[in-house]
Amino acid sequence: MDTRLGIWAAAIAALQLAVIPPLFAQSGDPLAVGRKMLIEDNPGELWIDQGQALFYEKRGPKKVSLEQCDFGMGPGKLEGAAARLPRYFADTDRVEDLETRLLTCMTRLQGFDRNELVKTAISAPASKGSDIEALALFITSRSNGMKVNVSLNHQKEYEMYKAGEYLFYRRSGQTDFGCVQCHGEPGKRIRLQDLVHMTSKAGTQEVSSTWPAYRGSHYVVRTMQWRLNDCVWQMRLPDLKYATEYSIALTTFLNRQGNDAVIQVPGFKR
Amino acid sequence: MKNSFPCFLFAAAGLLVAGCATYPDQATTRQIAEKMVFEAFSASPAHLKRLEQDRSQQICSKVGDAILSTEEAAEVVKLARDSIKYPASGQIVGDWKTGDMLAHDGAGDRIRDGKTENRKENGALCQNCHGLAPGEINVGNVGPALTGYGKQRGNSEAIAKYTYDKIYNAWVYFPCSNMPRLGATGHLTPEQVAHMVAYLIDPQSPINK
Repeated sequence: MDTRLGIWAAAIAALQLAVIPPLFAQSGDPLAVGRKMLIEDNPGELWIDQGQALFYEKRGPKKVSLEQCDFGMGPGKLEGAAARLPRYFADTDRVEDLETRLLTCMTRLQGFDRNELVKTAISAPASKGSDIEALALFITSRSNGMKVNVSLNHQKEYEMYKAGEYLFYRRSGQTDFGCVQCHGEPGKRIRLQDLVHMTSKAGTQEVSSTWPAYRGSHYVVRTMQWRLNDCVWQMRLPDLKYATEYSIALTTFLNRQGNDAVIQVPGFKR
Repeated sequence: MKNSFPCFLFAAAGLLVAGCATYPDQATTRQIAEKMVFEAFSASPAHLKRLEQDRSQQICSKVGDAILSTEEAAEVVKLARDSIKYPASGQIVGDWKTGDMLAHDGAGDRIRDGKTENRKENGALCQNCHGLAPGEINVGNVGPALTGYGKQRGNSEAIAKYTYDKIYNAWVYFPCSNMPRLGATGHLTPEQVAHMVAYLIDPQSPINK
C-alpha cells in the first residue's frame, strides 16, 4: 500500500507540474485540464478498500465490527444511507452527519474513546489517512450513483437546516467573513482557486455529492469536516472542534440545498 | 412546503397537531445557531472574542435575500466613520514598496492549535481577492481588479483620504460589502493602511504601470 501511494504521489506531483505552464495563457481555470486527468484515475479509490476492511473488521475494546451500526437505513445497511445524511437519529435524539454518526457507533458499539478518535480524525498530509476518513469514504461510496435526498421531517431537522442557513450568512472575526462572502457569487476565485457558488443549486449539488474527496495537494482523502475546518481557519476563526452542531448545521443546509445531485465519490479536489 | 403539506392535512383533521414539524421562527433559529457557534470552537477567551459579532457584523449578516434597510445602512456607515483612526504621524500615504509586499501577503492572524500565526506583521490579503499589477496571474477576483487604480484616479489628497478610509473600513462607503474592515477589525495597523494607500496611488507603484 505504501509503495503504491508513493508512486501515486510522485505521479500526481509530476502531473501538476507538467500541466500548469501551457494553460496559464488560455483559461480562467488553468488547473482544469490537470484536474480532469486526475479525476479519471482518482487515487482516492485506494481508500475505499481500506474503509471496507475497517468496517467489517472486529475492532475496538469491544471487538465488534460496524455491521450493527445504523446509518439510517437499518443496521449495516449502507446502500443509499449517506445520501440521506444528515438526518435525525432516535437513539441519540439528535441530527447527525456521517462523521458524527461514525463517532457514535465507534464509541457506543466498538468502545473506542471519543477524544482519541477526534484527535486523529483529520490526518496529516501525505499520511496513510485516518480510520474515519477511510470509513466515511467507504460508506459514502455505497451511495455512488444515487441521488442526494436529505429530507426534513423531524423538528430537529428543520431546526438544524435553519441554523445552517443562518450560520452560512453569519459574519464575524478579523475578516468579517461568513461563508457567503466567498461562496455567494458565480465564477469567483481566491487567487487561482475556484470557489464553489453555494447560493446556486449546481454549487450546493457539487458540495453534496463529491465529499469525501481526494485532495491532490495533500495526497490524502479529506472529509466535509476537514473542508469546514480549513474554511474557518482562513476566516481567522479559532480552532473548530470535530463533529460539532455547527458543522452538522452547515452540512445539513448545504446537502439539503444540494438534493438530487448524483453522488460520485471520492471527489477530486486540487 | 412540500413536507408540511401532509402535516397540514393532519392538523386540519385535528390529529397530531403537536407533532407537526416545521421551520422555527427567526428568533428561535438565531438562539439555536448562536449557541452552536459558542460551543463549536476550542479557544482562549481572547480568541473566542472573534466569534462575538459587533453591531455592524450583526446588521451585515442578512440571511438569504433579506435586504439592508436605509436606517441599518446609515448606522453601519456611522459606526464605520467613527472607527477610523489615522497614523500618529498624520501621514496617510506611506511607502509603496512596503505596500506592494503586504498586498501579496495573504497570511497573518490565523489560529492553529490555539496559537495565532507567529509573524512580525499581518499581510494585507489584497492578492487573494483583487487583480493587482498588470500581467499578474495569481490573483483572485472576489473583489474588483485594482489594476491602474492610481492611474485612473490620480494621487490627490482627496483620493488618498478616500482610499485610506476605504481600506481601513470599507463599510464607510459600501455598508456591508464583502470586503473586510481591515483596519477596524485590527487586522492592519494605521501605518500599514498608509503603505497600502501608497501602493495604490503612487505613480511609481507597479499597479499603475
